[in-house]
Amino acid sequence: MTDAVTRRALLAGGGAAAALLATGAAGARILPSSLQPLIGPGYRPTDRDELGMWQQMQRVEEEIAGSNLLIKDAGVNRYLQALIGKVGGPAAQDMRIYLARIPEFNAVMFPTGFAVVFSGLLLRMRDEAQLAGVIAHESSHFLLKHQIRQWRDMKRRTDVLSFASMLGGMAGGAAGIYTGDLAQLAQLGTILTLLRYNRQLEAEADALGIKLIAGNGYDPRSMSETWEQLIGEVELSARVRRKRPDRGYSIFSTHPAPRERMIDLRQSAAELTVPGRAYDRGRERYLQGIGSIRPTLFDDQVKLNDAGATRYIVETLAKDGWNGQLRFYEGESLRLQNADAIQDRAALSYAAAIAYPDAPADAWRWHGIYLMKAGRRDEGRAALQRYLAMAPSAPDAPFVRQMLVS
Amino acid sequence: MNKRMLSAVAAASLGLSGCTGGGVGGFGLYSLVRPGRTVKVGNGAMTVVAPREWNRTTRNGFTDVRYVEDWTLNGPYLDGISFVSALPDNHRIIRQEYKADRQVPKFRSVMTPPEIAALVESLYRIEGGASDWRTLNLAPRAFLGTGGFQLDYEHLDGDELWRKGRAVGAVIDGRLYMMIFDAARSHYYDSALPDFEAMAASAQLRR
Repeated sequence: MTDAVTRRALLAGGGAAAALLATGAAGARILPSSLQPLIGPGYRPTDRDELGMWQQMQRVEEEIAGSNLLIKDAGVNRYLQALIGKVGGPAAQDMRIYLARIPEFNAVMFPTGFAVVFSGLLLRMRDEAQLAGVIAHESSHFLLKHQIRQWRDMKRRTDVLSFASMLGGMAGGAAGIYTGDLAQLAQLGTILTLLRYNRQLEAEADALGIKLIAGNGYDPRSMSETWEQLIGEVELSARVRRKRPDRGYSIFSTHPAPRERMIDLRQSAAELTVPGRAYDRGRERYLQGIGSIRPTLFDDQVKLNDAGATRYIVETLAKDGWNGQLRFYEGESLRLQNADAIQDRAALSYAAAIAYPDAPADAWRWHGIYLMKAGRRDEGRAALQRYLAMAPSAPDAPFVRQMLVS
Repeated sequence: MNKRMLSAVAAASLGLSGCTGGGVGGFGLYSLVRPGRTVKVGNGAMTVVAPREWNRTTRNGFTDVRYVEDWTLNGPYLDGISFVSALPDNHRIIRQEYKADRQVPKFRSVMTPPEIAALVESLYRIEGGASDWRTLNLAPRAFLGTGGFQLDYEHLDGDELWRKGRAVGAVIDGRLYMMIFDAARSHYYDSALPDFEAMAASAQLRR
């Protein structure tokens, strides 16, 4: 991103520009040490406008809590709730967290202290420190009362928008969060627009968030890594499709200026790191916490056939070591690309996957199918038999049995 | 596959569906399929006989694939059948933007039924907005007088409604012939399944 673009983006967000000019330090990093939470445990609003907002938000939360798009896995939800309870600052015990099955990288904090985490976020995190960073960032929006500050700022600038009608749209949108072509759901767009914070507020949430995770013993460098991963993914996705990176409804639309924030977060991490102190990454805990739904998260991503994004995700997770699951999904992504030149590579990935003890049964099936297609019928049959032995009641077992006899 | 069928859910949530006068999204029109008559579908390479009146969508050369045609009984929100007739190697089942981030795989003549099943799944996930997908069954089945396959599945869409579907197909001379039935899981699937089965049994190649 060039300087010119950044400056234009700042000017476009008039509130942000004004706030920065007022402090006389446009673009300056906010020091983590300069921020304190504005609310404590059990916070309840007293001002009239904020009371109204809370009332509406309770309806939104009821809609979301009852949605069947939520992932209900009790273990995973307990894990997420415990994590926000740990890094959510003074109001941690008041916060709620909902996991929505949406294969996108995003998380949204609502004004009354509940967060919606998209399942695509959990797929992309390498360890608990990275996830803790995102959750602490979102919690900080609540701790710093950003929603009501943003709203008051907006009201000062314009009377055209009626807050009540926007909230009406939010309640409706939350009732049916559309997960496929997100651009089709104008109401979700309304939610995301309203919850889009300006550069100043995002920088504040970053600064307080990184202080919260470092204070809890997590490696503070994890927050800038998350941005690095996100930028890398969007760029590779676009490069594979030979176009410029642009993801309207991804986290970039609600969290602007990623590159600058990544740089600021790196500096803050260096500042917060206490020499000699051991920082926690929590990778084992993370894998244990979300392991039960990881195949689902992978399926949801891979089958969208966004080749560059999937490749980036698989390779990023593989920095912690390849395993059968990662090789299998590498093969799945290559297979779906469906180009002759790549089919051989898909076959190689499946062959590599089955060499690991954790290879899923599906890896054996595809390994077998690719062997059969390559004319290696005996080896193919053996692999398919192995598949049937591992998954005797698989839905496609009747078809695979026919392949064995034909 | 017609985008209007798959995006019926999205259209409804935006208030565009209002099926007044048979139009969906304001531009698609239906024509009546009479029962008991042999009807050419898709590009005309396959014929079926409907057991009762169905509605076929008028296709648009700019947005639709000419090998694919959609029918509905109660409107695309509730049920529909898509006919794929003689889709050639390396062709798409649905029209998509060339540089779309998420792309439904192209059909290849060398595909095995498990690969075609994966193609159907990606179609619903990418263009239909399915957030949960369950393959219920993939088994051999005769279709158009040859060895084909039957895929049964169900999916949860963005409007929080479960839908259920059945695809019956075969690859003949390197081209894909398939009928996909997809309907709201409660009531509508069971109600129109006998029609689908009758049409699948009546399907014939037209050479």
